[in-house]
Amino acid sequence: MASSSSDAASPAIKISLPLAFQQEIFQSVRAEDQLVILARGLGLLRIVTNLLHSYDAAGDCLVLVVGASEAEVEWIGEALAEQNALSKAPKARGLRITDAMSVSGRRAAYAKGGVFAVTSRILQVDLLTHNIPPEMITGMVVLRADRVTATSAEAFILRIYRQKNNSGFIKAFSDSPEPFTTGFAPLATMMKNLHLRTPSLWPRFHLSVAESLESKTAEVVELNVGMTESMQQIQTAILQCIETSLSEIKKGNSREVDMEGWDVESALHRQFDIVVRRQLDPVWHRVSRKTKQIVGDLTQLREMLNYLLSYDSVSFWQYLEGILATQSTSASGQGKQNQSPWLFLDAAQVLFNTAKNRAYTGKVTNAGGEGIPAGLVPVLEEQPKWSQLSEILDEIERESILRLSSNDGSYGTTLIMCSDAKECRQLREYLQTVNRPVVTSDEKDEEDEEANANLDTEGEVKYSAAYMMRRRLRGYLNWKRDLSSFKAAYSEISRTTSSNAQTQKRAQESIHGRAPANKRRRVRGGANGGAASTSRAAGGSVQVADEQAAQVAQLWQVLQPTEAEQAAKQEIGADPLDNMEDYYELFDLQNLAVVHPFKGDMDDRLLEELRPRYIIMYNPDTAFVRRVEVYRSSHNDRHVKVYFLFYGDSVEEQRFLSAVRKEKDSFSKLIKEKGSMAVTLTTDGMAVDDPQEEFLRTINNTRIAGGGRLTATAEPPRVIVDIREFRSSLPSLLHARKIEPVAVTLTVGDYILSPDICVERKSIKDLISSFKNGRLYSQCENMLQHYKQPMVLIEFDKDKSFSLEPLSELNSGPRQDDLQSKLVLLALAFPKVRFIWSSSPYQTAEIFEELKRNQEEPNPDQAVAMGLEEGEEKEGIIYNQTPVEMLRALPGITGKNYKFVMQDVDNFVELSNMSEAELAALVGKEAAKKVHRFFNRTF
Amino acid sequence: KVSRATGSEIIVSTRQKGNPILQYIKAVPWSYGPPTLAADYILGASTCALFLSLKYHKLHPDYLHTRLRTLGDAFTLRILLVLVDITEHTTPLKQLTKICVSNNLTMLLSWSSPEAGRYLEAVKMYEHTQPTAIMEKLSEEYGERMVEVFTRVRGVNRTDAVTAVSTFGSVRRAANASEEERLMVAGWGPQKCGRFERAIREPFKVGK
Repeated sequence: MASSSSDAASPAIKISLPLAFQQEIFQSVRAEDQLVILARGLGLLRIVTNLLHSYDAAGDCLVLVVGASEAEVEWIGEALAEQNALSKAPKARGLRITDAMSVSGRRAAYAKGGVFAVTSRILQVDLLTHNIPPEMITGMVVLRADRVTATSAEAFILRIYRQKNNSGFIKAFSDSPEPFTTGFAPLATMMKNLHLRTPSLWPRFHLSVAESLESKTAEVVELNVGMTESMQQIQTAILQCIETSLSEIKKGNSREVDMEGWDVESALHRQFDIVVRRQLDPVWHRVSRKTKQIVGDLTQLREMLNYLLSYDSVSFWQYLEGILATQSTSASGQGKQNQSPWLFLDAAQVLFNTAKNRAYTGKVTNAGGEGIPAGLVPVLEEQPKWSQLSEILDEIERESILRLSSNDGSYGTTLIMCSDAKECRQLREYLQTVNRPVVTSDEKDEEDEEANANLDTEGEVKYSAAYMMRRRLRGYLNWKRDLSSFKAAYSEISRTTSSNAQTQKRAQESIHGRAPANKRRRVRGGANGGAASTSRAAGGSVQVADEQAAQVAQLWQVLQPTEAEQAAKQEIGADPLDNMEDYYELFDLQNLAVVHPFKGDMDDRLLEELRPRYIIMYNPDTAFVRRVEVYRSSHNDRHVKVYFLFYGDSVEEQRFLSAVRKEKDSFSKLIKEKGSMAVTLTTDGMAVDDPQEEFLRTINNTRIAGGGRLTATAEPPRVIVDIREFRSSLPSLLHARKIEPVAVTLTVGDYILSPDICVERKSIKDLISSFKNGRLYSQCENMLQHYKQPMVLIEFDKDKSFSLEPLSELNSGPRQDDLQSKLVLLALAFPKVRFIWSSSPYQTAEIFEELKRNQEEPNPDQAVAMGLEEGEEKEGIIYNQTPVEMLRALPGITGKNYKFVMQDVDNFVELSNMSEAELAALVGKEAAKKVHRFFNRTF
Repeated sequence: KVSRATGSEIIVSTRQKGNPILQYIKAVPWSYGPPTLAADYILGASTCALFLSLKYHKLHPDYLHTRLRTLGDAFTLRILLVLVDITEHTTPLKQLTKICVSNNLTMLLSWSSPEAGRYLEAVKMYEHTQPTAIMEKLSEEYGERMVEVFTRVRGVNRTDAVTAVSTFGSVRRAANASEEERLMVAGWGPQKCGRFERAIREPFKVGK
């Protein structure tokens, strides 16, 4: 085992894989280039890190990790460092991340070797600019192999790599089998993209996996929690809305949409909105505006189903109100004819009523101007899982007292897992405040006490979250006021009709008359605090939401924080970590309950670090179940007890079940395809440049050019491509057509085809937005200034229909907001700018090839210099697109002064915190005023 | 010599008789011109258009060339209005692109006769219109601008922008809120928050 340290051929490499099947996978993928598809939660990243470690420890290598997410990179980095520390391999250097490195920094780092995590966009550019010589690469490890489609950046990287380097390894990994099963011979296609031949499949039902995991099992308690009656009502109502929406779509598009077997049942667990959208995409232009809206509604309704389970009753109602608010006042002023059809259903009425009644009840009486108290009672229904959770925790406490001394290596911690950070926070707050009494002090709260008493006499509810829920309700009322005052400012055309204004005024007066003296509110709202809700046009059928300002004020008073509540800390979290030692100490893990959201592979580490004795899965999650299995099996003696909570007959139960089934089915399909897969030997064949083709190209060109330009055309064809364009698949496709993409930072244009031809590429979405913000106009101006043949490329999506949106109203003649009209305006303004229409990036590549024929090759240095002002740096500045776009959208920021801002200000947050004087130094007084006002305007 | 003092009318070549797109030119008046007209449509003092259906082009590939020979270069804007009426459009469109580039034609694609008619109407109507509608002009109005800034982040929509700013009270506070606080805003899930967080924390410039 201990080989001599000087022996480089077999350095001692310690592998830390606890389970037999994990070792098996490691050995086989180490020996041979493979695509490993592993079932979720079985420790894929661990195998990857061990593999990387084996190369790292051996030293003298250049291994690139491609396709990993940010979190995965971090995970791998930490795990590698850990393994290096354990194995004490002298040559190991750990994972190096190139994100923050400069171009030359990367070149130097690559030359030294090691294991690198590189983002695909940067790696493409580095490979193309020879910043990293492909021959030097020892191998590539591709994560998330399911995402490597023919046009993806990763496929492009592998192609360039294989072209120049036939001996390096490629090892690909994925833990989601589903994408490999759609389409024709999907596995074979994927393998081709990955330049691999052997798939290696590891479903949960694989023999070695099952053997490894089933020898020791964890104790599992399944708890089927019933939904409350009103929750069931709401779920039924939402499902009805979904059903109606679906049949509405079916009615209008029976030819395009195949929705056999669509029913409420399937709507529960399928991502029906996505399926519908996919079916409609090819004919999207022919679909009516109404259908489009319904498709959008479906997404919203599906979200609603989830929120019903995860949000508390007040937040859920708040969410619904938010929907109503944006439905009734669309800012573009289109009024209410655009309201979603489901809002008019009876079911929607039930939905809104029930949801509101879960939060509070009250009658709408606005007869008297002085808003008489009309029995507004907070109801504050609690989520059934809450009390269940409390019960479990009590049980755990009792149990842990009974067997104190069972020392099995676990820390006795209780781990509560839930779906996301939002829910986490909710649970934390609940556990902190559960059963905290609501001491009432003024007589207003008598009704409240009654409400509490009611809860108690019902007997069932042992644990009360009243404290938290009251806090939520207050937050909601605050929000509601903010929203209305905000909306008034937002539209800034609040004087619609005189009568409207009058009612508004009355409402305002009434509020001022009885505005509660609430200091906390005052701070925030300023003078604006009493602004009434603009009497917005709530959807015809939905009256519930038409909350009168007076009524809200009334409810607000009922909910005034009692003294006890006020004394308690208002906010959780957001502690500045000063004086750490004075106030903090490490908890004893024995008595700790940790609430944590599911975070994919990161959870493996969580389990290892916390060593929980009890795990409460507040929501079901397939991968996490497996992680617990792996954790349990990896440690001989550790006992784990798992509580598994789910709402019976709900979306989450269905989703869990179908996820398990889908994964299993996918693996079965893959195994079948693997069995019948033809071995493709061509994968490596395409690597070498075909000499014959190169010969033909010269001949061809000479003939057409009459021999006169032989020197020019003998060069391999190239296109100069702006670095930002490497997000799209076009550079990759050009490369596939043997046109070399040269990556540089361009100021003018996106693609330079020849010294004269400059192309600005616009996808349809870009086209619409850059017409809106006028960018395309300035870009055309710019191109005209520097190039003889400026062109705008209008590129459609491969999977979408090749046509523009249908005209809005055919009878009314052109309107300036039509896309077509805007194109005409552009053509009239720039008669010299050519339009190129392309149905897909594939076609664009062909068109480019055609346009380049007989043209001289473009010069990269010239192209880079175009449009740069004197003294500006030429090379290597990459801008982050989204932040820069946000910057440019700010008032006061122009096409000229935004550069000064970028010079001195790091990011958006920093900009938002600058004083007016500081801003003035950058952009001048006038602009500074605008920018400052934009950030600091309050409501 | 053909008079091109068209005024407010579209002058249509008699060659176009029977073209279904004519019935969709309604917003502006049109009339037939003299038979010697080289273009299919005269849309202004310096603007003309040729009409081509891909179906026809496939049958008579040389037609366009003959027409171009006689068109002359009296017009600054020469439009080739193409009706895409076949599904195998890739090859012909590639050829047409090349032709347009070498013959100074601006290509406009339409997928239906009404759409083609609409294009002609629009060219005529906007003959003297300033292109302000497509020039950089961001609304000076606060709400619109705020939405504009927020929606630059992928996945953030109007509603999200409005709820976020109304919850935090100002854009500055919304930007400075912690990620956890932002997660509490209705409709802001982890993914959206992550993207937004990245957009406002990421430096404008990377690398040197």
